[in-house]
Amino acid sequence: MALVQQVQLQSAPGAGNRARRAAGSPALRLVGRRLLAAIPVLWGVTFLTYVVMSALPNDTAQAALGLKATPAQVAALNHALGLDQPFWVRYWRWLVQVLHGNLGTSITGQSVNSELAQHLPTTLILLAYALVVSLLLAIIVAVLAARRPNGIADRISLAISMLGLSIAPYVLAFILIIVFAVKLGWFPVVSGSLGNTPLSYFKALTLPAASIGFPLFAVYTRLLRADLVEQMQREDYITTAKAKGVSPWRVLIKHALRNSMFTLITVVGLNLGTLVGAAAIIETLFSVPGIGYFLLNSISNHDVPTIEGIVLVFALITVLGNLLADLAYAVLDPRIRYGSTTS
Amino acid sequence: MAAPLPEPALASVLAPQSPPGLPSLVTSRQLRSQRLGRALRLWIPAGVLIFLLAMCFLWPLVYQLPSPTNGDILVASEPPFSPGHILGTDQVGVDIFSQIVYGGQEAFEVAIATTIIGLVVGSAIGITAGYFGRWVDAVLSRVLDVLIAFPALVLALVIAQGLGPSKFHLILALSAFAIPTVGRVTRGSTLVLRSQPFMTAARLAGTRGWRIIVRHIVPNIMPTLVTFSLLGIGILIILEGALDYLGYGTPPPNPSWGNMIATGQTVMTAQPEYVLIPSIFLLVTVIALNMLGDALRERWGVQ
Repeated sequence: MALVQQVQLQSAPGAGNRARRAAGSPALRLVGRRLLAAIPVLWGVTFLTYVVMSALPNDTAQAALGLKATPAQVAALNHALGLDQPFWVRYWRWLVQVLHGNLGTSITGQSVNSELAQHLPTTLILLAYALVVSLLLAIIVAVLAARRPNGIADRISLAISMLGLSIAPYVLAFILIIVFAVKLGWFPVVSGSLGNTPLSYFKALTLPAASIGFPLFAVYTRLLRADLVEQMQREDYITTAKAKGVSPWRVLIKHALRNSMFTLITVVGLNLGTLVGAAAIIETLFSVPGIGYFLLNSISNHDVPTIEGIVLVFALITVLGNLLADLAYAVLDPRIRYGSTTS
Repeated sequence: MAAPLPEPALASVLAPQSPPGLPSLVTSRQLRSQRLGRALRLWIPAGVLIFLLAMCFLWPLVYQLPSPTNGDILVASEPPFSPGHILGTDQVGVDIFSQIVYGGQEAFEVAIATTIIGLVVGSAIGITAGYFGRWVDAVLSRVLDVLIAFPALVLALVIAQGLGPSKFHLILALSAFAIPTVGRVTRGSTLVLRSQPFMTAARLAGTRGWRIIVRHIVPNIMPTLVTFSLLGIGILIILEGALDYLGYGTPPPNPSWGNMIATGQTVMTAQPEYVLIPSIFLLVTVIALNMLGDALRERWGVQ
């Protein structure tokens, strides 16, 4: 709403059509620039994926046919799969295929698209679960801690976040299983199936999400707390608000937190890539039938087309995450939205 | 000849009268405890790290440890503090302390080697991008973006599985994670430095490009890089353990903390200390690294 008004304010009345007005909006120009910058990155990711997978001594045909295959059979399959072609030919074919939305066929004979469609939703729900809960908790804890720097709440939050930063996810997951699944029996240890009802689904995903979310919570809390404390001590508008007699909590939440959210959004966007690695470890540990678990299986099976497809999708998610963070920034920050040069 | 001025008067003439100091809001006792706290925050984690490094690298040179791979089945599953085995033995009688020591060597060697590769290559890319700007920056930034968008652990797994498990491949695989992160941080700091007046002064004085980089940029980004790489070593030790844990790192029976945790989790009920001991060592190492990084950051005023 505000964006539309701004666009209309900026352009001279009656000058140019709608498209030109839109092009004049700094936020939209930023969006356009970011989208353009994302294209070479995405291409680079496809290329790097392909280079790495080709450079490694993987014998797809041998892996697919098994150890008993004769050299003639292997050569025939290599020819059928186009693996006897030069690198650039193969890359070009693969790229064209990918641009048509087809990620190829895995060595099990299934199409990579259907495999992804089968496993990706679980992982996305798991990551979203971990991300949302850890963000909400981090905001609450960081605000409590920043209310009195070096106070008791601050010290406790610092200790917890230091622990979260330092604990290895595979150790944390194990502790969670021992305490909450074996000793207390509150949550099931996932093994293969997640149950049918939404409740059992979320119950099954809680421990994996906690293992992924706790380190995230630690990072976000530290970051947000440091930013809040800095703002409360340095910024003039905080002093103004305090001088006006605004209550301390209100200053913290309405004034400082709103500004600190920008830093947080950027880091969340940048962190999306590392989440994928975390998902691979945690899903394997809990046997969650998600994409990370599937990826590890594909890696040990030399299933090159599947690995390429999964890596590409993960890289896409990361790039899109960064893009979304930038866009959120552009929409939320009035300095960017209104194109001021003060920032 | 004028009579010499009395001493206090002379002093007041020579030294301009300083205004009376503002009343301090901090008592000297508070100041002292603050200073002590700051010193402790630096030296406790540093001491723990020095102890761990000495334990892993010097102890085996001074003191003959039992073999970390071959054990005596007759003394299997000994509890901690048993004679000859200070932390006990595992299910097949291998000394746990010696596995911790040699596994720790592995973890530190891999993490430090990877960090050095990351620092050298990453900061070379970052400084070049930040200093030369324009198209160099545009190209190198896109390269870094690609590497960051690439899921690092997956790349590490693919490399480790494709090339086979070995220490060198582990270092290579983890470098794929270290280089782009260092590169991005260095580029950011170089960009900030470039707009500083002393950089303009150096350029106006006709200093050559490489000399500006070596004498002005590198010393100024050092604090950022050192604190950042301390945090990085912690992450790398965890990642190295993760690769071991998943079976793509140090090939067993060579000891590593990740292998020990993975094996220990399967014998949890029979022998809980076999999983607890390496987990605690891992946690303490990474906490010490993170706290040292924090303390140095506070001391050097790095953001």
